Amino acid sequence: MIAEWRWIRADLRARRTQVALTVLAVAGIVAALVTAATLLEEGTNPWRGLFTRGHGAHVWIHTKDTPDTAALRSLGADLAGPYGSAPATLTGNGRKVPVALQEAPATPPEIATPLLTEGRWLDRSDPDGVVVERSFAQALGLRPGSPFTVTGLSGATHALFVKGVAESGDQGFYPEWTPGLAWTLRETLTRVEPAPGRREHVTGLRLADPGDTTLVVQRAVTVLAGQVQRVSTWREARASMELDNRLLGLLLALFGGAGLVGAALALANATGGRVLGQLRDLATLKSLGFTGPQISRMLLAEHGLLGLLGIAGGLTAGHLITIAALRVPPSPAQLGAIALGTILTVLVAVWLPAWRGGRTTPIPATPALPPHGRLSRLARLALLVRLPPALVLGTRDAFTRRVPAALTSVGLAIPMMMITIGLGCWATLDDFTKNPERVGQAAALVVRPGEMTAGEAERRAAADPDVAAVYPGVELDALVPWQTRTVRTRALGTSATPYPFHVVEGRMFRERYEAVAGQGLLDLLSVRVGDRVRLTVGGTPLIVHIVGRVLEPEQDGEVLSLGLDTLAAKDAVPPHFYSLVLRDGADPGEVRARLLARDLEVALAVNPADRLAVIRVIIVALVVVLALIGLANLLTASALGLRDHVRDLAVLQAMGLTPRQVMATLVTGTGLLAVLGVLAGAAAGALLSTALIDLEGHGSGMGAGIGRAPAPAALAAAVLIAVGAALLVALIPARRAARARVPVTAG
Amino acid sequence: MTVLTTHNLVRIYQNGGVPVPAVRGVDFTVEAGEFVAIMGPSGSGKSTLVHMLGGLDVRTSGEIWLDGKRVDTLSESAWAVLRRRKIGFVFQFYNLVTNMSVADNVELPALLAGMSPRESRERREYLLAELGLTERAYAAPAELSGGEQQRVALARALANGPRLLLADEPTGNLDSRNTRDVLRLLGEVHGQGQTIVVVTHDAKVASKADRVVTLSDGMIVDDASMRRRRRPPGSAGDVVELRG
Ligand SMILES: Nc1ncnc2c1ncn2[C@@H]1O[C@H](COP(=O)(O)OP(=O)(O)OP(=O)(O)O)[C@@H](O)[C@H]1O
Ligand SMILES: [Mg+2]
Repeated sequence: MIAEWRWIRADLRARRTQVALTVLAVAGIVAALVTAATLLEEGTNPWRGLFTRGHGAHVWIHTKDTPDTAALRSLGADLAGPYGSAPATLTGNGRKVPVALQEAPATPPEIATPLLTEGRWLDRSDPDGVVVERSFAQALGLRPGSPFTVTGLSGATHALFVKGVAESGDQGFYPEWTPGLAWTLRETLTRVEPAPGRREHVTGLRLADPGDTTLVVQRAVTVLAGQVQRVSTWREARASMELDNRLLGLLLALFGGAGLVGAALALANATGGRVLGQLRDLATLKSLGFTGPQISRMLLAEHGLLGLLGIAGGLTAGHLITIAALRVPPSPAQLGAIALGTILTVLVAVWLPAWRGGRTTPIPATPALPPHGRLSRLARLALLVRLPPALVLGTRDAFTRRVPAALTSVGLAIPMMMITIGLGCWATLDDFTKNPERVGQAAALVVRPGEMTAGEAERRAAADPDVAAVYPGVELDALVPWQTRTVRTRALGTSATPYPFHVVEGRMFRERYEAVAGQGLLDLLSVRVGDRVRLTVGGTPLIVHIVGRVLEPEQDGEVLSLGLDTLAAKDAVPPHFYSLVLRDGADPGEVRARLLARDLEVALAVNPADRLAVIRVIIVALVVVLALIGLANLLTASALGLRDHVRDLAVLQAMGLTPRQVMATLVTGTGLLAVLGVLAGAAAGALLSTALIDLEGHGSGMGAGIGRAPAPAALAAAVLIAVGAALLVALIPARRAARARVPVTAG
Repeated sequence: MTVLTTHNLVRIYQNGGVPVPAVRGVDFTVEAGEFVAIMGPSGSGKSTLVHMLGGLDVRTSGEIWLDGKRVDTLSESAWAVLRRRKIGFVFQFYNLVTNMSVADNVELPALLAGMSPRESRERREYLLAELGLTERAYAAPAELSGGEQQRVALARALANGPRLLLADEPTGNLDSRNTRDVLRLLGEVHGQGQTIVVVTHDAKVASKADRVVTLSDGMIVDDASMRRRRRPPGSAGDVVELRG
């Protein structure tokens, strides 16, 4: 053991810079993974972040009177409130929206803190100001300064205004969670609702262990004996915030995989390069009496330790970065998964070179087999056509040593492939935003009639100059025989004038009782295009013929779309909403503003790309990390190549090659392999990316057909930059070597 | 007492399907305290023979006995363990672990043989002092001259107090002054009772030996005792002194 540690210590000391680089590379990848996972989680499930930042309460208890706070505290919970709360109606622009006004102190509370995103918090000098929950404010287009006119149950109207906008993890987002929430000072609340009998009290309980929620709720209900009107818990809030979008999860898996491969490559290359460079030392160790397994163990310990160090550093850095940037620590489950994945990767990546090192023959003086001149015929040909000798020698050199050559090429090809796949994802996202109709979002706006009649709403919407077409629609839940769950059925347009779904397989429905479906639905019912399915819609049995598959961004693709005329009239009339297809080049935001001004309830369709926007950040980060890994691999390779060549260099110089020619020889040797690797990686990535993204599309229920190849210009730029950087990196050691006086004798 | 015996030792390499017999039936015995030089033309199988004697290469057939035990049947790992305790090796080149200091290089075999760090340090200090290398103890091998490197290699080979010292052209790339230094050392340890088998092309080295064995085409063609042994074999006191 002591002997092994001695050697490990000496080896680490002898290459401090390389050691630091390896640890940093692994740490960088792990930190990027942690950050990416947390970012994506924030995108898909914002609850945890909001709840953590705002020190949310796990349980909210609504009571008629002020509850017995001492009794609640005795359950082992910290309290928020009790706060007074009163229902009211928000009026303005001809609409009436129910709202819950909730009392809040003038200094934001310690527990269940609303997180101000815009404007200011409540202030006693400004009793008319309210702070509105963000999703509610967004849905109604409220900003700080907007009027907030409310009518209490008594019928009296109060002209309040929006002072600030704040987020909270204590209740779900509007409109999934209604009514919308606004915080006011106590005096404002009493002014709007003077009758204590019409107010209720809400109290938040923050538990030490969220797992106790059910128990605490039961006991609270018992303790408050009959006073409790309603209880909501963090589980409901979380569920209502979750985006049930499998595409995000799959993308995370893809990027996680890429990160792991990157980490494995960085380590395998560093370890492999080191072991190859030190075979002679290992042989010496064997002649001293080190056994093969002992040497493997030693190498595994040394390089594995570096990897683990990198992982530990990366986890810490990732933790700090997410806290600094997102103000939420990464979730322990994700941290655990990432740690486990990377540790396994490290062990696998290090194991192979360590095993190779243990198998070294113990005769240190064995001369390396002279390289076979495999390309000698080619080289002769090259000389015949008078290529410069440096090029010929470099080319010959590149291919004579197989293992290092393969290491160099593969070490560059894999990062390049990953980068190309990243570019493919980018191109796909671009396509989502530029051509939303190609991902099944032809309609940019959806109008709901609300208070007015359906016909009136349709007329007002169609009157806008930028609206090209209006499709009436109905969404219902259909019961499927043999399925315990329901599926979303969407009737949009009619069989004669169907909505422009993006059909990727089969055809559009043309007649009654024909339908198209998303991949998710086909998978759910295990049917194929061409099959017939039996459903019950609103009590009416229905047999539809699935004639096509469409790209379906909603509900994980578990949606069946058909014409309104297929449904029974009682289900189809009046339409629930109208989908508006705009003229080319029209700005949905402007049209929405105009329609809002005409008192229509208008929602912007959420483009999948907007939800996936966070992925672009991750793509950029990943490309940077991968580029660094590629460069590190190349540095290892060219250092290794040089070590192999020290003696040949003397011979080349003795043969009369100028330093410049020697340099050209070396650069050709590494550069050729680099170019090969980069090209192979880019080609593989371009081929794979469309397939991979389509696979993700399929898996997520949205359906294959979304993948786009990377933009040619972007790909060409990436290849050029990679090759340029590779040649530059090869040039540095080559220059130094060509200038140095090479000792002719071995020693 | 016999340290080493071989019976009909054969090594045949396969060179692209063509059998290349490097050692063809060598019967060879080394007594304790003997200094044997192996000579012969290039390609006659000298290196192959000593590699087999140290377990660095496997025999094709025949037997090797070390200290009365049969060792040719040992596994690679068992050979390694045996080398730790009983054998010291010196090659022509690349004897030292490049990234370890001279001191660490010399201590490594002692540590490996199971000595405590303190014992190993004392042994290293003693050996380096004997070789006049005390000041270079913390230098890297690359900072030493060829002669110094070979002397360190010798110290390293002796660190575990080996029963048998095997050397393959230890002076092969040294000038005459360095050769003289290394030879003087070999003479000294031999004088203290160390058993030595050395492969050499150098007549000066051979002249120091008790016996010169000549190989040709993988067979022993001559085995000549050069002079009367200076000492009775295995004078225990000297061995103990050397092992410090
Ligand atoms: N690994 C090997 N594979 C095939 N043949 C080998 C191998 N090692 C040695 N030989 C052959 O075995 C024969 C003996 O080689 P060996 O190295 O033992 O000779 P040597 O006496 O040490 O020569 P030198 O004095 O030049 O060192 C030679 O013909 C050599 O070509
Ligand atoms: Mg030899």
